[in-house]
Amino acid sequence: MKPPPFLLGTALAFWGWQSDFLIPGVMMGLIVESARLVQARWEFSDEDFSRVWTFCSLLFLAAGVFAFTNNNGPESFGNWFQNPGFRTQGGAGLSAARTGAAIFRWLPMIFFPFLAAQLFSVREIIPLSTISLLVRRRQRREKKAGRPVPPSRNVNIAWPYFVGTVLAASVHRSDDASFFWGLAVLLAWALWTQRSGRFALVIWFATLAVAVALGFTGQRGYGYLQRYLEGMGADWLSRLMRRNVDSSQTRTALGQIGDIKTSGRIVIRLEPKKGSPVPTYLREASYRFYKAPAWSAGSSRDDFQGVPEEAPVNSGNWTVLKENTNTHGVNIACYLEGVKHGSSAGLLPLPAGVGRFEKLPAYVLSRNSAGAVLAEGPGLLIFDAFYNPGATLDSRPGTGSTNQNRQPPAGPVPVGSEMLDSFRTLTNLTPRKAEHTNEDLRVPEREEPALEQVITELQLRGLAREKVLQKVRGFFADKFTYRTWQPPGKLGTNETALSRFLLKTHAGHCEYFATASTLLLRRLDIPTRYAVGYAVHETSGSGYVVRLRDAHAWCLVWNEDKKIWDDFDTTPASWVEEEGKHASAFQWLQDAWTRLGFEFAKLRWGQSNLRLYLLIAIVPGLAVLFYQIVFRRGRRRKKAAGLSGAEIFNWPGLDSEFYQLETKLAERGVARGTSEPLNEWLTRVATTPGLTELCAPLQEILRLHYRYRFDPLGLSEVDRDVLRREVKACSESLKRVEAFTSAREGERQ
Amino acid sequence: MNFTYKLLYRIYRVFSWARYWVGRRFTRAGLVVLGSVFVAAVLGLDPENSVGYQGFTLLIGLLLVAVLFGFRFKAAFAAERLLPRFGTVGQPFTYRVAVRNLTGEHQDGLALLENLKDIRPTFAQWKALQLDDQKHVRPFRVGQRRRQNPFRLANLKEAAVPPLPPKQSGEVRVELTLLRRGVVHLDGVTLARPDPLGLFRALQKVALPQSVLILPKRYFLPPIALPGMMKYQQGGVALASNVGQSDEFVALREYRRGDPMKHIHWRSWAKTGKPIVKEFEDEFFVRHALVLDTFTDRPQTDEFEEAVSVAASFACTVLTQESLLDLLFVGTQAYCFTVGRGLAHADQMLEILASVQPCGAQPFTLLDDLVVNHASTVSGCICVLLSWDNARQRLVEKLKALRLPVLVLVIRPAGKTEPLEPGPMRDAPERLVALEVGKIEQQLARLK
Repeated sequence: MKPPPFLLGTALAFWGWQSDFLIPGVMMGLIVESARLVQARWEFSDEDFSRVWTFCSLLFLAAGVFAFTNNNGPESFGNWFQNPGFRTQGGAGLSAARTGAAIFRWLPMIFFPFLAAQLFSVREIIPLSTISLLVRRRQRREKKAGRPVPPSRNVNIAWPYFVGTVLAASVHRSDDASFFWGLAVLLAWALWTQRSGRFALVIWFATLAVAVALGFTGQRGYGYLQRYLEGMGADWLSRLMRRNVDSSQTRTALGQIGDIKTSGRIVIRLEPKKGSPVPTYLREASYRFYKAPAWSAGSSRDDFQGVPEEAPVNSGNWTVLKENTNTHGVNIACYLEGVKHGSSAGLLPLPAGVGRFEKLPAYVLSRNSAGAVLAEGPGLLIFDAFYNPGATLDSRPGTGSTNQNRQPPAGPVPVGSEMLDSFRTLTNLTPRKAEHTNEDLRVPEREEPALEQVITELQLRGLAREKVLQKVRGFFADKFTYRTWQPPGKLGTNETALSRFLLKTHAGHCEYFATASTLLLRRLDIPTRYAVGYAVHETSGSGYVVRLRDAHAWCLVWNEDKKIWDDFDTTPASWVEEEGKHASAFQWLQDAWTRLGFEFAKLRWGQSNLRLYLLIAIVPGLAVLFYQIVFRRGRRRKKAAGLSGAEIFNWPGLDSEFYQLETKLAERGVARGTSEPLNEWLTRVATTPGLTELCAPLQEILRLHYRYRFDPLGLSEVDRDVLRREVKACSESLKRVEAFTSAREGERQ
Repeated sequence: MNFTYKLLYRIYRVFSWARYWVGRRFTRAGLVVLGSVFVAAVLGLDPENSVGYQGFTLLIGLLLVAVLFGFRFKAAFAAERLLPRFGTVGQPFTYRVAVRNLTGEHQDGLALLENLKDIRPTFAQWKALQLDDQKHVRPFRVGQRRRQNPFRLANLKEAAVPPLPPKQSGEVRVELTLLRRGVVHLDGVTLARPDPLGLFRALQKVALPQSVLILPKRYFLPPIALPGMMKYQQGGVALASNVGQSDEFVALREYRRGDPMKHIHWRSWAKTGKPIVKEFEDEFFVRHALVLDTFTDRPQTDEFEEAVSVAASFACTVLTQESLLDLLFVGTQAYCFTVGRGLAHADQMLEILASVQPCGAQPFTLLDDLVVNHASTVSGCICVLLSWDNARQRLVEKLKALRLPVLVLVIRPAGKTEPLEPGPMRDAPERLVALEVGKIEQQLARLK
């Protein structure tokens, strides 16, 4: 049974709308529905359907491999195999789940050729043997054994495709109920054709309305349940989140027990412009207010200001710091992994002192007073950033409004913010009272004793800024080591993770060093901020790559003389090496696939000419496939024409002499009509003047011919001779009749 | 180990029941919605990345409303089944069911489902089948697994019931696909009414116990010159309608080796240029033995089913001729059924063959003794054997020693094509025919 008109097309458009593939979805929908208008149909054989199915299966496989590698699959599974444990198992599970979701989302696109083949075929159904490997295998076995091949069942894939399409439309993030209502309309449409005539239309509509109301209530309830569960375990949920930097706050792993695992996935690629040095750090955001274990942006949170694009529109040129000379340049490629206003959004990783962007295809660009630049645009951005050491985007210390009783900003917020808001509510992160009017000098009370102890030990009070920085750097370099693993602390004490780090363990990861340095300097009245971003150190070809494990935290220190913020990193230099130890043995494979993923993302987001190259590469393949499907029969005919006579007659009875007789009779003017049965034709021949005497022999010849052609036992040698003799006799009779007729005509003339 | 089998058997029973219940309760659209619920549930597990949970709740809402409608179907019906006595495996089997609406309301949009008696095997049968599979099917060979439940004799197809006015009757044409020989027990019929959305059905059962016998599949056999000769039969005069040969011949046919010279029709030879003989109506008092080998240690095999089919084909063909046919086989004991010439009809032999079961536990000597004891009364013997081992060769050897013409048909699994060692049939190798499962019809057509 076929779906009702326009249902499939609408479902595809709905899928496109929900999955951010609107144009492909609408295009596919139009193609599907055009089958009702276009009369042309292709005569696909079972083999052709198999070929299209194989093509779709290969696409499916390729999509699976791509999605798996793009979702960190090889590394997370490699980690799981190397270090089996809850965390690595969770990572592998997460990769697998994301891979599955991605493939599911692409299903309508992957199997569209198969659906189109069905819709535009003469049969408009598909033999089950093309889909089912088991049926195909069984048929092959029967054929090989010489047994009759059982006929395959035919299936209409339109309904399964419809179901797959609407379910695939669900694989996306959304907070609204557009999917619910769209699905309700499509299901009502589909069920309309299935309704029982027993019930009045009012009952049908009422039943449907009740069902939809139940579903809607259910999904609201599901939302409450979800929020409740989030509330129960914000920490647990936060672990499931991917790294997606939020400009409003960042949650550190301070106090987290055990080993910190980071990924080797390449997240940024950069290439310095000719003559420009490579930036040491790429900063995404800086934070001002600390309450363990999180840093928040404080007053910088809501002061995002739009950056206008330079004329003409879509020039891709943006100036964020007008006074900069922008002597150095670097080309940066990064992903926007959040969502804002329905499009991809994220903080740009930028070198210090950045002043101008070129070729940046962002839709909206904004910056805040903590140096964060938020971009909304395609999922992948490749742009040139120009910078020079000196002035930065950050505001001067102590500037900006206070953060007391701050309300959350109106409108959508970046991904993760909502969850973190609930987390903030739970942990009461927002300070009730500001102890210090300058946010860049504020130190939590709980951390003060440990900091005081260090200051006293190092005799830092009264020293000049430069001297202080030198001593602090030396302190961390001499007495501390980099370690991602943290032992559990003592229970029942007031000891904070930071004080344990400063006074006891003397070992930690970059967040410990950055937080400690920031707060220590603040205690000495030196304004500081906590910065997060990436360290750049790994070369790749002519450029550099930055992995997720290169994510770094450091300190920004205010330089009163130059009126700029200086980077101040106290993490021991060995941290890069330490993090490198976490690299998987499958790193090379991961890199290869990440590269492929990067190229695909460039293609997807229109950042390269690869789309064109791929089109060029695909065209020959498609052409071959098209040729195979459309002109295959022609090729066979050509092949048959080139064969010798003996090879042509493979089928029993094709060498029957009857065909010679047929030709001769046709030459005489009694040609057999198209699709005219032989028996009727011979009866017609027998009524032709002069040929009436051939009636009986022709019937006998036909009987023998049929037996020769179709009797499984064939003709015996004797009967075969009879057939030859009879045909010969008939041919001679025909000659005689012709001779007689010509003689008569000659006499008349 | 037995505990494991019992547990697996329990699981099998529960799943087969669930499958049966779901198949009857849900319409095709309902099954699609049910399947989609599971997919949406999986997708909905990750609400951060999918809104599958919205689809899940909507589909659950639809199913919930549909199921609520399924609990209320207060209607009364009477039914009468007009059922043929027999059906044949592989042949279309249709019959009519007259349904009467006993209520005062118009009944529309109903479907009729036949209720088969529970076909699930007992634990012993199920375990025997599993052990047999383990023994004969290589692990991980999906293609070699059974394609059908060997205990399922027929597949049901639901039929649409025409609109039934109050207190009126309507006739429904029901079609069964017969899969295996045996007795199909029908417990009653069920009238199914879908809910307004067309997803779930309310059922109303009408008890109507009946049964139908499914006869084995039969193959076309060419006219076969069966081995045999006229033989004195005790009581033969009473049974025979004629003695000797009629002077009238019924047809002409090509000469076959062994035809008597006096049967040659010289005029036809002169006309056609090849020897033609006259075919007389057989009026011999011929008695053939049809020996069916039931000795296999496997509970259900294609070879055994084919052997029964071949025997049934011979039973039908031979009995169209004037002869007696003794069916000899061993079941729980040794059996001999004689049909033909007014003793019994072919249908009765087919009924017997419809119920023949393999006998793994009995010794082959039982059949040996049965056949040899009957050898003195029969003119020829057709042996349908399941293998060509020493025991079976010895049996044939004994029959040959009794100067009894024998036609031996050996049923072999599909794909086994190597020639048979003639053994005792070396003097007449053309009378030893190997029949391969799947090609039996073609191979039987070549018999002469």
